[in-house]
Amino acid sequence: MASELRSLASELRTALHRKQLDTAASYLSRAKHILLQQNALIPTSSTPPQLVSLAREILELGALTSIRREDASSFTRYYQQLQPFYDAEGHLETTGSTSGLDLSTSQRSKITGLYLLLLLSVGNTSQFHTVLEGLVVEASLKGHNVEDDSYIKYPVELERSLMEGSYDKAWRETKSERVPSEDFSLFSNVLVRTIRREIADCSERAYPSLPISNAKNLLFLNSEGAVVEFAQERDWTLHDGRIYFPTDPESAAADEEQPIGQPEKEIVLSSATIIENSIGYARQLETIV
Amino acid sequence: MPIERRSLRSNSKSDTSSANGEKSQTSGASKDKPAPTTRAAANKSRTASAKKAAAGKGASNSSGMSGHDQPQANGSDPVENGVNGIEDVEMEEDSATATTPLSGKPNIDRDGDEKITVVVPPSKGARLSGDQSQDKEGDVNMDGGNEEGAKQAEVEVDPKVKAMQDIKNNFTLLERAVTHFDPRFTLRVLRSISSMRKQITPDALAEVIVETYPSTNATASFLLEAIGKPYAGEETANEKMEVDSDKARATPKEILPEVGIYLAILVQIYLYDQKEIQHGAHFSSKLVDQLRSLNRRTLDSLSARVYFYYSLFFEQLAPLPPSAAAAVIATRQPLLAALRTAVLRKDVDIQATVITLLLRNYLSTSHISQADLLISHNRFPSSASNNQIARYLYYLGRIRAIQLQYTEAHGHLIGATRKSPSSHSAGGFYQASTKLLVIVELLMGDIPDRAIFRQPSLERALHPYLLLVRAVSVGDLDGFLNIVHTHSAAFRKDGTYTLILRLRQNVIKTGIRMMSLAYSRISLRDICIRLGLESEESAEYIVAKAIRDGVIEATLDHERGYMKSKDVGDIYATREPGEVFHERIGACLGLHDESVKAMRFPMNQHRLELKNAQEARERERELAKEIQEGEMDEDDAGGDFDGI
Repeated sequence: MASELRSLASELRTALHRKQLDTAASYLSRAKHILLQQNALIPTSSTPPQLVSLAREILELGALTSIRREDASSFTRYYQQLQPFYDAEGHLETTGSTSGLDLSTSQRSKITGLYLLLLLSVGNTSQFHTVLEGLVVEASLKGHNVEDDSYIKYPVELERSLMEGSYDKAWRETKSERVPSEDFSLFSNVLVRTIRREIADCSERAYPSLPISNAKNLLFLNSEGAVVEFAQERDWTLHDGRIYFPTDPESAAADEEQPIGQPEKEIVLSSATIIENSIGYARQLETIV
Repeated sequence: MPIERRSLRSNSKSDTSSANGEKSQTSGASKDKPAPTTRAAANKSRTASAKKAAAGKGASNSSGMSGHDQPQANGSDPVENGVNGIEDVEMEEDSATATTPLSGKPNIDRDGDEKITVVVPPSKGARLSGDQSQDKEGDVNMDGGNEEGAKQAEVEVDPKVKAMQDIKNNFTLLERAVTHFDPRFTLRVLRSISSMRKQITPDALAEVIVETYPSTNATASFLLEAIGKPYAGEETANEKMEVDSDKARATPKEILPEVGIYLAILVQIYLYDQKEIQHGAHFSSKLVDQLRSLNRRTLDSLSARVYFYYSLFFEQLAPLPPSAAAAVIATRQPLLAALRTAVLRKDVDIQATVITLLLRNYLSTSHISQADLLISHNRFPSSASNNQIARYLYYLGRIRAIQLQYTEAHGHLIGATRKSPSSHSAGGFYQASTKLLVIVELLMGDIPDRAIFRQPSLERALHPYLLLVRAVSVGDLDGFLNIVHTHSAAFRKDGTYTLILRLRQNVIKTGIRMMSLAYSRISLRDICIRLGLESEESAEYIVAKAIRDGVIEATLDHERGYMKSKDVGDIYATREPGEVFHERIGACLGLHDESVKAMRFPMNQHRLELKNAQEARERERELAKEIQEGEMDEDDAGGDFDGI
C-alpha cells in the first residue's frame, strides 16, 4: 500500500508539474481513497511517520491542484485537512524529536500563505487576522518574526497596504515579479478586481467628477475603452470626457438646495421617536417611583 | 470589639433570663418548657467542651471565646420559649429539637438561628440580626477576637491552631449550607479562603483531616497523601483521639462530601503556594475524576473552584502555553466534559467557571477560532458571579478585537474593566483589560481619556500605552513606529502586539483628520510629506479611503491635486445628541432594573413576618383577655377579638 501511495505521489507531482490538472485530480481521488483505507487521513500517534509525511504530501499536492483549478472551496477543505498534520509538526518541533518525520518537505508556510491570500481576496479579514494571530504567536515563540517567511510576508504586507489605502502599493505587489511563487500569482486577478472595486468605491465618495484619462490611471485599467466599460458597469454617467459619480441619496438629502419636502418628513419622523422616547421614560419613572 | 460584643451578649442574656422569669409567671406555660431549656444548657456545655477539645492546648483563651460564641445563640433559646411558649407551632419545633439526638453543632446552630429570627419583636430583631450577620461574616471577626484575646493574655497563639479553628468553623458553615440548601454559606466559605491562605500548613491540614475523618476513610488518605503526610500524623491522631473520644462518639454523622472537597481545595492551594506544580496537577486531575462521580447541587460552587485550580496547575506545567504541545491542551477534554454536565444540570457556577477557563485555555495557545466556536455554541449564564462575568467579557473582547469587530470588543472590554474587582489583588486583571481597551479604542479611531493613565494602579503598567496614544493622537507615524519598536517586548508580553501593528493605518487616518480640520485646502504633496508616505499616489488613495470610511468630510480634486475640506455642520442640528441622550437614559434604566433584580430576599422571611403578625394578634388577644377578665366570658372575648 505504502509503495503504491509513493508512486501515486510522484505521479501526482509530475502531473502537477506538467499542469495536467485533470489527471492530477484523478490521481488525488485514488490516493485519498488509499489513505482512508490506511486510516491515515488524520494523523494519530500510532500512524507510522512515513505514512504521515506521505499523507501530508498528498494533501499538499491536492491543495496546490485545487488552487490551480481555482477551486477555492476545495482548497479550503484541503487546508483544513492539513491542519492536524501541521499541528502535529509544531508539536514535534517544540519537543525536539522529529521521530523519523521529514519536516523539510513540508510546504506549510506556502499553503498557509496561500490560504491567507485566499481569505484576503474574498475579503474575509476577520478570519485572516485570526489565522495570522496564531502564526505570530508561534513565530515569536521560536524567536523570529512572521515576516521572515516570504510566503507569509506577502499576504501580510498586501493586507497592510490594502487596509491603509495605499492601493498603488498593493497593485505593484500583485505584479508577477513580486510574487513569491507562481501559485500566488493565481490570486492576482482576483486581487486586482478587489482592489479596483475598492478604488471605485472610494472614488465615488471622494471625487465629484474625474476625467476619463485620469480614471484610467487611478483604476489601473489599460485603455480608456476599459474605463468606459467599467463606468457603465457601475452606473457612472459619462459626458465631455469626464466621469460624473452619482451622488448618493443620503448626502443629497443633507444638501441645502434640496427641496424642503424631504427634511419635513424627517422632522415628523424624528419627533415621533422623541415622543416615543419621552413616553417610555415616563413609564419607566412611574414603575420606579 | 470583642469586649463590647461580650457585654452586649451578657446584657441580652440577662434580659432573656429576666424575660423568662416574668413569662413563666404570666403565661404559666406548659410543662414542656423547662426541658428544652435544660437541654440547651446541656448543649452549651457539650459544644463548649467539644470546641475546647478541638482547639486543643495552648489557646485556652481563644477556645473559650469561641465556646462562648455558640451558647450565645443558644442563650436566646429560653427567651423564645418564654415569649410565645403557648404557641403550638413553636412547641412543635422545640419538641423536634428535643427528639432529634442532639448530635452535632449544625442542629444547634440551626435552632439558634431560627429562633433568633423567629423570636424577637421587630425592633430587637434588627439589632439581633445585625449581630447575627456579624457572626456570619465569620472568620474575620472571629480572628480579630482571637488575636486580641491572645494579646490580653500575652499568650502566643499558635497559628496552626488558629488555622485549624478557621477551617473547622467553615465546616459548620458548609453543613449549614447543605441543610439550608443555601449557596451563600458556601460562598462565604470560599471567600474566607484568601484570608486563610497564608496560614495553611501541612500540619494543620493533616490534623484537621485526621480529626474529621475516621482513619479508614478513603478521602482522608487521599488528601493526606497529597500533602505528603500519609498518616504521619497517626500519633497525633491517636493522641487526639483520646481527647476527642467523646466528641468522636458525639458526632457519628457521616462526613459531608462538601467538607471533603473543601479540604481538597485547601490542599490544592497549599500545593500551588508551594509551587509543587507537577504534584498539584496530578492531585487535581484525580480530584476532578472524583468530582465527576458526585452529583450534589450544594457542591457546585466548591467544584467550580476545584476546576479553577486544576487548570491553573496545568497552565504552569512544563511545555508552557504558547507552544503547540502545551500541557493545557490535555485539560480541554475534562473541562469540556465538565461543561457538558454542568449545562445539563443547570449548574451556573461550574458553567461560568469552566467556560472562562476554556476560553483562557484556547487563547493561551491562540486557538482563536475554537474559542469563537465555544462562545457561539454556549450561552454564558447571566446569573454567574461578577468576577466570572468580568473574565468572560475580557476574553470575549479579546477575541472580537482579533476578529476586527472593534465596536463589539469595545463594549465587552468596557464591561470587563467596570466589573473588574477593585481589590488590590485583582489589579492585574484591571491592568490587562484596560490595556486591551486602550488599544481597541485607538483602533476604533477614538483617543482614550488621559485620566485613564493617571490612576495609581495603572500608571506604571500603562506607560508604553500612554506613549502610543500620544503618537496616535498627533498622527506622528515615525514616532509611532519608534515606540512600537522600543516597547515591542512589552506589547508582545501583553498579547497586544498584533493589534498594535494594525494601528498604523489609524495613525495615518488621524493625521489626515488633523490636516483636514486645520486646512480648508491642502495639496496631496503636502499630505504625503507630512505623513511620511512613499508617493503622492498613495496619499491620494489613502485620502480617498478616509473619505469613504467617513473619517473626514472632504473632496478630492485629482487634476489640481488637492484635498478640499467640507465645512463641518452644527452637530446640534442633527439627531445625534438626542440619540446619545436616549442611549444613556437606556443604560441608566437598565442599571436600575439590574439592581432591582440583584436584590436578595432571604428564604424564610415571609414566614417571619407571618409569625410576627400572628404574635401580635396573640398578644393583643391576651391583653384583651386580661382587660376583660372577670367582666366577660373568655369564650366571648376570644370570639370578639378574632376579627382583629
